[in-house]
Amino acid sequence: MRSRKRWSSVLGAAAVVAVLAVIAAGCGSSNKKSASSTSSSGSNSGKTFDTLHVVWGDTDYMDPGLSYRLESWQLFQNIYEGLVTQKHASGADSTTVIPALASALPTVSSDAKNYKFTLRKGLKYSNGKPVKASDFPATIIRDFNMNSPGVGFYSNIVGSEGCEKNPTTCKSISGIIADDSAGTVEIKLQKPQSDFLYVLSLPFSALVPKGTPAKPLTNPPPPANGPYVMTSYQPHKSFVIKRNPNYKAGSIPTVPQGNPDVVIGTITDDLAASAQKVISGSADYDENLLPTDRLSTIQKKYGDQVKFFTTPSTYYFFMNQRTPPFDNLKARMAVNYGIDRDQLVKIRGGLGKTTQNFLPPTYPQYKKIDFYKHDVAKAKQLVQQSGTKGMKVTVYTIGDDEIDKATGEYLQGVLKEIGWNAGIRELAGGTYFTVVGNQATKAQIGFTDWFQDYPYPTDWFGVLQDGTKITETHNNNNSNVNVPAVNKEIERLSHLPPDQAKSKETNDAWAKLDHDLMVKYASQVPYLNGLLTDFFSKRMDPSCNVITNFYSDFSQYCLK
Amino acid sequence: MASTDTGADFTLDTAAELAAEEGGRGIEGKSPWFLAWRRLRRNWVGLGALAVFLAIVLACLLAPVYAAHVSGMSPNDTNVGGTITVDGKTVDVVSSGGVTTGPNGEIQVKAGGVPIGPQWWHAGGQYVLGADSLGRDIATRILYGGRNSLQVGIISAVICAIFSIMLALLAGYFGGASDWIISRSFDLIWAFPVILLGIALGTALAVNGFHHFGINLSGSSLWIPTFVISIVFIPYLARPLRGQILSLRQSEFIDAAISQGANPMRVMFSELLPNIASTVLVLFTLIVASTILTEAALSFLGAGVQAPNPSWGTLIAAGQNTIQTAPWLGIAPGIAIVLTVLALNVFGDALRDALDPRAKVRIEH
Repeated sequence: MRSRKRWSSVLGAAAVVAVLAVIAAGCGSSNKKSASSTSSSGSNSGKTFDTLHVVWGDTDYMDPGLSYRLESWQLFQNIYEGLVTQKHASGADSTTVIPALASALPTVSSDAKNYKFTLRKGLKYSNGKPVKASDFPATIIRDFNMNSPGVGFYSNIVGSEGCEKNPTTCKSISGIIADDSAGTVEIKLQKPQSDFLYVLSLPFSALVPKGTPAKPLTNPPPPANGPYVMTSYQPHKSFVIKRNPNYKAGSIPTVPQGNPDVVIGTITDDLAASAQKVISGSADYDENLLPTDRLSTIQKKYGDQVKFFTTPSTYYFFMNQRTPPFDNLKARMAVNYGIDRDQLVKIRGGLGKTTQNFLPPTYPQYKKIDFYKHDVAKAKQLVQQSGTKGMKVTVYTIGDDEIDKATGEYLQGVLKEIGWNAGIRELAGGTYFTVVGNQATKAQIGFTDWFQDYPYPTDWFGVLQDGTKITETHNNNNSNVNVPAVNKEIERLSHLPPDQAKSKETNDAWAKLDHDLMVKYASQVPYLNGLLTDFFSKRMDPSCNVITNFYSDFSQYCLK
Repeated sequence: MASTDTGADFTLDTAAELAAEEGGRGIEGKSPWFLAWRRLRRNWVGLGALAVFLAIVLACLLAPVYAAHVSGMSPNDTNVGGTITVDGKTVDVVSSGGVTTGPNGEIQVKAGGVPIGPQWWHAGGQYVLGADSLGRDIATRILYGGRNSLQVGIISAVICAIFSIMLALLAGYFGGASDWIISRSFDLIWAFPVILLGIALGTALAVNGFHHFGINLSGSSLWIPTFVISIVFIPYLARPLRGQILSLRQSEFIDAAISQGANPMRVMFSELLPNIASTVLVLFTLIVASTILTEAALSFLGAGVQAPNPSWGTLIAAGQNTIQTAPWLGIAPGIAIVLTVLALNVFGDALRDALDPRAKVRIEH
C-alpha cells in the first residue's frame, strides 16, 4: 500500500509464494517498537461512552472489496471481519494472525496447500442475514467482478486463472469449497504461500453477504459483520458508525467489542483545519497527520494528547532503469550519494528516521545498511563517470501535498547540483501513482513510498522489486528493477519449507537481498522510515490508544 | 466584458466643450496626444500609480543584482541544512527535528522543519522576508517571481493585443463571412470563463508541453502560460475594437481613402488603426492588470508557471499552508500582486480620462 493518504491501487502481491504456517505465529515482528502493549479482547472493560467525534482523512471507497487506503482500512478493522484478522493490539502482537469469523486458525495440510476453516456459529450481518460459509467464495468472486485492486492476492488459489482472465464474468473458483451446513471453508492453493493468512486478514477477504451487488457501495456501505456498522457515508464529507444491532457481545472474542456507541466522522484532507477541530474541542480525535509547521507548537501546548508512532514504511525515490540516465549503475549510485537524508527528514518536519534500507527496521530481516555517506563531490564524479552529465532528467512528485512537493523540489535541486539538467513535474496526488505507474509515462525518477500490507518481506520485494511482476500499467515496481539473480532469489525464498521461513538463515537471505539491491544494484533511493501522529482532545485518555497493524483502533478509545 | 461608450451628450461645438473642460485654455491646433498628456500630467493619482508600477518593474528587473549582492542566493537555491548568523548568533535556516528513542524505549520526537521568519537586516541582507521550507530566500523568490509574473502578464497582453487588433481589423473592415467567422470564434472563447479555460489549456499543456508546428515548448516553459492567457483574453479586447472599426468603416474618410485607390491593408493600418489607438492603449493597460491577475490565479491553481520557477501565484499557493505559522510566505507576494494590479488599474483609468474624458472603457470578466 502507498502512504497514509495514498495506498496503491494495484498490488501483485499474491504472486509471492513461500511457506506457510509461519504467519500464524505472526512472523517478523519480534523487534517492533510499540507505544504500549495493550491487547484486545471481546470485552469493553466498562469504558463505553456515547459519542466519539473524529476528523478523518479522505479515502477512495468505503467498500471493503474496493478500498485500498488506510483511512478506510482503519475503520474496517471493527466493521468488516474476515476468516482471520490481525490482532487488535499494539506492538509485536499486532502482527499476529488470529481467528475472527473462523472459530480457530485453519487446519493446514502437510504440503501447506490446503487450508480448512470452520465458521463460528450464530454470527449475523447488520442486515440480519446469517454469516454463511458460502459468503467467502462469493466475496472473492465479487472482488474479481469489481476488478478490485486486491484480486492479485488470490492468484495462487486453484481455479482462479479464469477469474483473472475475465474478472467481470467470474462465477466460481474451484479451489474454494464452502459447505454452509457444516460451516466450513476449504481453500486449495496451487503452491504453498507464506503470506496467505495475512492475505486472508486483509479487508479484501472480509466477508460480505452472498448476493451483495458487485458494484461500489457507498451510502450505505455493504452490511457489516463486526461489532460496528457504518450507517451513513457521504464521500469526502462525513460518516456515521454505530454498534451493529445484530452483533452479539463477545460473539467474536478476538475482536474488541468497542467503547464508543456512535462514531461521527468529518472527512477532510486539510491538516490545519483537522488539527483545529481537536484544539477547539469539536472533535475528539484527528486521524490526519498534524501539520508539520504547527507540530512543535501543538506538541508543546498539548503534550500527551499528541501521540507519535512508528510505521513499517519506507519513503524512497524510484529510478527508472529502463530509461537513461538511470539504466546506468553509477548514475543511480550518484543519487544515493547526492541526497542528504537528514535534510529530507527535516523537510518532513522531523517525522522520520533516515534509512538506506528498503525494509523497515521493524522487520527481523532488517540489517542496517550504512553505505552511502552524503558526498556531493563523489556524486558529481559518478555522474561524470556515467557519461550522462548534462542529460535532461525530470523529477516526478505530488504537487498538492506540501511535503511531497518540497521533497521533489529538493531532489531536483540535488540532481541539478550533481550535474544533470533537472526539471520537475508535479502531479495531483489522486492520479500520481497511476501516471508514474504507466510505462508510457517513462517517469525517470520521483517520489514514492510504501507502507506494508502485512509484515513479511514478500510485500516489499515481491511487489516492488521483482522484475517478473512488472506491468505496463498500475506498475508498482516504478524503478523497473529487473535483476535476474534477484528475481530468482525472491522466488527461492518464497518457496522454502515452513520450518525455514522464519529461520535465521532465511532472515539473513532477505537481509542480503536488501543489501544487494540497495548497494550492489542501487535499485532505489530509500531515505526515511516515517512516523505518523494521533491527536486527541482533552476529554480523551490517550493511553487507551492501540496501534494495530492498520493503525489506531477507534473502538478502543476511552474517556479520561 | 469590454465596452466603449462615447457618451450621450450631444454638442455641435466639441472644441468649445473640450476647451471648457481644459480650464478655458485653447485647444485649437493642439494634437490629441498633446492634449492627452496635458490632462494626464495633472492627474497626480494616475502618475503616482504609474510610478508605483514602474518601481515594481524596476525592482523585479534588479532581482539578479539583489540575488548576487544582497541575499547571496538564487531563487531556486535550497538551504535546508544551512545556518545563518543573526545578530552574532548562529541559527538554523530550517529548524532541526528528528526522532530519538528514550531511555525506556519510547519514541521522542523533536518537531522541526519550520523555516526562519523575516530577518529584515539582522542577517546582513539574508532572508529579509524569511525562508520557505526548503530554505529558499523568500525576498529573492518574490523578486524573481515578479519577473515571471510581469513577463507572462505583459507579453501575453502584447500578444493578445496584436491578435486582437488584427482580428478586429479583418472582421470590422471586411465584414460579411470574415466578420461572422471571427465573431463566432470570439463567442466560442467567450463562452468559457477565463479561469476555467485557462486551467483547461494550462493543465493540458503543462503535462506534455507543446510540440507542434515546429514549436517545442516543455511543460515548464513560461511561454505556455503566456500563450494560454493571451488566447483567453483575445475576445475581451478584440470585440470592442471590432465594434469601433465597424463604426469607423462607415465614415466618410474611409470612403474617401478607398475611392482614392487605397488598398485594404493601407486603409486598415493607415486609416483605421490610428483611430482606434487611444482605445487600444487604454484597454491594454487594463488587460495587463487582468493578465497579471490571471497568471497569479492559474499559477496558484497549478496551471500556470510551473515549479520550481517562482511566480507570485505559486508563492501564494506555497504560503497558504503555513498561513498561521509563517504568514509572510503568502502575504508578501499577495501584497506585490495587489500593488501591481491596483497601480495598473488606477493608471489605466487615468489614461482613459486623459485620452477621452467622456469615454467609459472598462474590462469585465
